[in-house]
Amino acid sequence: MNPKIFSKRNLRALALLAVSGLLVFWVASAPHPLSQVDIPAHTANLENGKLLYNIGGCISCHASLADAEVPSGGKPLTTPIGILYPPNLTPDPETGLGKWSDVDFVNAMQKGLGPDGTHLIPAFPYTSYVHMKVEDVLDIKAYLDTLPPAKNASKPHEIPFQFIVRRSLGLWKWIGLDEVKFMADPKQTPSWNRGAYLVNGPGHCAECHTPRTIFMSSDVAKLFQGGPHPDGKGKVPSLRDLIGRGRYKDTKDLVLAFQNGEELGYDKMSSGGMGEVRTHIASLAQADIEAIAEYLMSLK
Amino acid sequence: MISKVSKGFLAGAVVLVLGAGAAYAALAGDDAITARQTCMKASGKAMGTMVPMIKGEKPYDAAAVKAVLDADGAACAKWAEFWPEDSKTSKTLKTRAKEEIWTDPKGFEAAGGTYYKAFTELAATTDEAGFKAKFPALGAACGGCHEKFRAPAP
Repeated sequence: MNPKIFSKRNLRALALLAVSGLLVFWVASAPHPLSQVDIPAHTANLENGKLLYNIGGCISCHASLADAEVPSGGKPLTTPIGILYPPNLTPDPETGLGKWSDVDFVNAMQKGLGPDGTHLIPAFPYTSYVHMKVEDVLDIKAYLDTLPPAKNASKPHEIPFQFIVRRSLGLWKWIGLDEVKFMADPKQTPSWNRGAYLVNGPGHCAECHTPRTIFMSSDVAKLFQGGPHPDGKGKVPSLRDLIGRGRYKDTKDLVLAFQNGEELGYDKMSSGGMGEVRTHIASLAQADIEAIAEYLMSLK
Repeated sequence: MISKVSKGFLAGAVVLVLGAGAAYAALAGDDAITARQTCMKASGKAMGTMVPMIKGEKPYDAAAVKAVLDADGAACAKWAEFWPEDSKTSKTLKTRAKEEIWTDPKGFEAAGGTYYKAFTELAATTDEAGFKAKFPALGAACGGCHEKFRAPAP
């Protein structure tokens, strides 16, 4: 025990260290939103917005408790950090997105930021949506704007130390948010590229089908290798080598599985929440389902 | 001489005793897990026979369909006994049964009822058109239960 450790000088140095540490944390975790000039001029395509809304399965998390078809939020989502209440996506001006501008929406979807600059919790998979074309994101916004506004105030999330957790997400984004836009691979077919885009962007399949590192970011080296199920019991299966592992015979087989599920005896997709995902995929056009299957079957 | 009344009483008593015996012999623990897995395997086998016929990969074969559905029905006959409280987990067996089976017994029973109805209707079909018309409901009923009450594979 050396009392000199607590000398005035040492304490001052310690205080200085703590303050500068906090300062670095504050600066490094600051939000960096886009502004209006970053948003391209775009004529909305509602049909495309609806398609992307469906493949994203937005309703799975943003459903209201009263009506499973209305994305006005409120259905509790249990996560490792606490219980979340996904917010209202309908254009209600008070409780929904009615007052959100296009740039607000793009910031949420691709920067993980709320209109006030708060870091959004990545249970909302902006980590995948960040790879989307900004025009596609704008189409989703335009589609949401056409939904009937439903009044349903978002409940606050039940997360301990929420302020610190949220602010720390600014740091987490350095490792957890890969902001590279989707790039088509010219060596592959257009439909393969379409599938790759739908799977890795709006479909956000990697969020569950890729294991996470100790920093809770997707382990890109193990892309689509499967991982523990977020609910705790069982695993999310790997999407690699689906043919070699005897899961599906060929692309056509996987397309039938997406479209019919157990109605045609395909029982691999009906647990762990995939049943609902499958019905969303089944609602897409034949060409898009084939594109998704073509891409998935190519994963080695 | 035993009077009619006491005969009735006796019969009632016998039924009661037999009933109690049956309840006592109901499946428990690992036996229940094994029994339901045997049932599921029979269902899987039935699907394996029927799906190629639905897809048109194999010709419809009424006798084969009847055989696998009979076997499935026999393996799953004690369905109501498959889910005692002490079969939620096991030290030696793996089970994908979800907690919801016991926390949402009404939902589970309804899903089972939907399945039973679809199964009975499919088993009653005798021609290809009827078979193809009734099959999807059975498949969907499998899914209806799996989605809510079966955990993802380990």
